[in-house]
Amino acid sequence: MGRLNPVVKRLVLDVLKPHEPPIYELAAKLASLHGIDSVHVTLAEIDQSTESVKVAIDGSDIEIDRVKHCVEGLGAVVHSVDEVSVAKRMSLK
Amino acid sequence: MWGYIEKLRSYLRVSGVSSASRRYFVMNFFDGAMTMLGVTVGAFATGSVHPRTIIGAGLGASLAMGISGFSGTYMAERAERLRRYKKLRKAMLADLKRSMHSKAFRIASLWAAFVDGVSPALAAAVSMIPFALALVGVIRVEHALVFSILLIMAMIFGLGAFLGKISRENIFLSGFKMILVGVVTALICLLLAAI
Repeated sequence: MGRLNPVVKRLVLDVLKPHEPPIYELAAKLASLHGIDSVHVTLAEIDQSTESVKVAIDGSDIEIDRVKHCVEGLGAVVHSVDEVSVAKRMSLK
Repeated sequence: MWGYIEKLRSYLRVSGVSSASRRYFVMNFFDGAMTMLGVTVGAFATGSVHPRTIIGAGLGASLAMGISGFSGTYMAERAERLRRYKKLRKAMLADLKRSMHSKAFRIASLWAAFVDGVSPALAAAVSMIPFALALVGVIRVEHALVFSILLIMAMIFGLGAFLGKISRENIFLSGFKMILVGVVTALICLLLAAI
């Protein structure tokens, strides 16, 4: 009989980042992670040293820790998780 | 290998060191070329054109310029970039130790220092090629002198053209302006030797 495991399908993060690297590089790096199908980044605010962006990630199995690690590797900081969608996925055991 | 190069490029892009490196390259390549022009013209003016002497003087000057350029630029760039990195950490309210920025500022300092150290040595090395050929008997010393000066002028012209391309000006005009500086330098050296 299979087990139903919850998987994260959508994640929306509030991220503070320096100007470099640019948002398309952040989006590309996140999109290259396993389990992520698409990434949408919107610039919310900008000041002399930093930018606040909304990062919307859609995928089949998003690993939140890997996403956070990737974001921090680019010098950015996750301020908050604004939205999350979780679904049940059948796994055979 | 390609992965390392891509990573290096991303660190240099994030740190914004490309424009500073371009400036260091131009200034120091020019320094190296002009130093060798001075050595060559000075040797000609004093009548002691010995390939071994010129190569020795050139190597000594290249080494001194290279070491001084590398160490001076590394210390200056590191101080400036560390200041910027700390300012960024304050703005982000985060440590940034695991971020690419903590590596980028160190690599940027090393890269700028490398460019500053290598560029005068490169210019000097190219200028010495005719004398190296004269040393092994491929060409005569008199020809080596002429070829070396022509090579230096060609490098200076190329540098001027490069600057013209960057600033979107007439590359030939930029090149000739640089050659003018070289010609004036050579004339001053000849004048001083005559006195």
